Amino acid sequence: MIAFVAFSLKRAWQGFWRNSLMSLAATASMVLMLTLLSGLVILLAGLDATLKYVESEVEVVAYLKDSATAQDVAQLTTDLKAMPQVTTVAYISKDQALKNFQERQPEVAKLVDSLPSNPLPASFEISLRDPGDYIDVATYLRGQGAVDSVQDIKKTVSQMISVINVLRTGGIAVLAIVGLTVLFIIVNTIRLAVVARAEEIEIMRLVGASDAFIRWPFIFEGALVGFFGAAITIGLLLLVQAPLASLLSDFFNVLPVQASAMVGQNVALIVMATGVGIGVVGSYVSVRSYLAR
Amino acid sequence: MARPRPTDSAADGIPVLALRGVTKTYANGKSALRDVNLSVPEGDFVFLVGPSGAGKSTLIRLLIREELATRGKVMLDGRDLARLKRRDVPKIRRRIGIVFQDFKLLPNKSVRDNVAFALEVTGTPRSRIGPSVDRVLRVVGLSGQADQRPAELSGGEQQRTAIARALVHDPHLFIADEPTGNLDPLISWEIIQLLLRINEMGVTVLMATHNAEVVTALRKRVVGLEDGRVVRDEVGAAYHRED
Repeated sequence: MIAFVAFSLKRAWQGFWRNSLMSLAATASMVLMLTLLSGLVILLAGLDATLKYVESEVEVVAYLKDSATAQDVAQLTTDLKAMPQVTTVAYISKDQALKNFQERQPEVAKLVDSLPSNPLPASFEISLRDPGDYIDVATYLRGQGAVDSVQDIKKTVSQMISVINVLRTGGIAVLAIVGLTVLFIIVNTIRLAVVARAEEIEIMRLVGASDAFIRWPFIFEGALVGFFGAAITIGLLLLVQAPLASLLSDFFNVLPVQASAMVGQNVALIVMATGVGIGVVGSYVSVRSYLAR
Repeated sequence: MARPRPTDSAADGIPVLALRGVTKTYANGKSALRDVNLSVPEGDFVFLVGPSGAGKSTLIRLLIREELATRGKVMLDGRDLARLKRRDVPKIRRRIGIVFQDFKLLPNKSVRDNVAFALEVTGTPRSRIGPSVDRVLRVVGLSGQADQRPAELSGGEQQRTAIARALVHDPHLFIADEPTGNLDPLISWEIIQLLLRINEMGVTVLMATHNAEVVTALRKRVVGLEDGRVVRDEVGAAYHRED
């Protein structure tokens, strides 16, 4: 077993450098693909974090009629708290609403003071477990006599979700095409490696080498291309990490998202697994088709 | 003088190789072998003769299970090669040593490494490779040239390297396909002497050849193939039929 692994690794290493131009071209295309992949992963992670943030902020805000009584308020509070979709219920009285407004807009506060009565309605701010439950809760509230209107922010969220979905689908489609191209390049690289070793393979068969000894060195060689590609990509990501992180935190500065953590372990792991995975699959396909006998 | 080989009796035990009614027809319809019967007991030395295209190479390819017979049975040590599982094919091949007219050496490896290669690719532990290689290099008389590359060797030395490689797994059947085809007469005799020594060590030898002088001089068993059929099987015979 040790002899087998040592033999396969040695031959994979020799094979990689024997046709170094082709191997390096394959590695370069691997780097290109993995860079695209990590870009997409980082972008989607950022957007997902944004969405999560927005979603967590999704509240149903229901404005009450001025005619609503304390009893109405108490009843609504109890009912809302009993709903499984609802996590928290906050009641903002007319006075509280005015105070909040004055705090936020001190310039116009005096103007409000001059009004004969408080124009701001009382409201409920209701946090949801799942933004998908918005409709249920909004519909319920609209059916209540004490409720004047329900704020519609559902639209914003669904627009954002569809933007993310388009990006995700488009990104995955582009990645799939690039991934297939890289796979094809690997298949060809390993095919050339097999052809270069045709003589040795014939001798190996004649002296009774098992299929594993004939095939695995090529699979290791493909894995090596993937490994080098992934290592270079991770190196590049580390280089651009600092500028990228500051760029991201500028872009997402309103959000509590840690950009540097995203360009960390997870992306490195995904890049390494994808690189080695494509290398192995490509060389396996190649070895299967060219060493069929 | 030459006499027909008697048919096998049960007392011979299991032959090293046996072909029973073997026919090989290629996809293009060409019949390379037709109803071939052949039995070679352990320790035998057999010359396989016949014109080019008579089926000698096909016969050898069937023996190393490079190809399967269209009809009939090819048995090695009593095992039907057609029933061999794919993963057992390499194990059978390690019991067969084979050399060719074109030596099939790796040009970028030394004599020692060419021989060691056969052990390396069959998963032999490193500690056992060195002694085994030294031993077979002594047998073929190449200990002094161990570090040279094939290009630095004469044709005879290259063939001896190939023989050393074929011996390193201790085969009990040794197949030589035109081993002297590329060599001058004197060197050819050296190679034949080596094959005779291997045979004396107890290894069964099957040698396909066009070398009439060698076959006639040695008076061994001669199996003649013509147009895919066995046309003669005589012990103590010459290259050409003497009747």
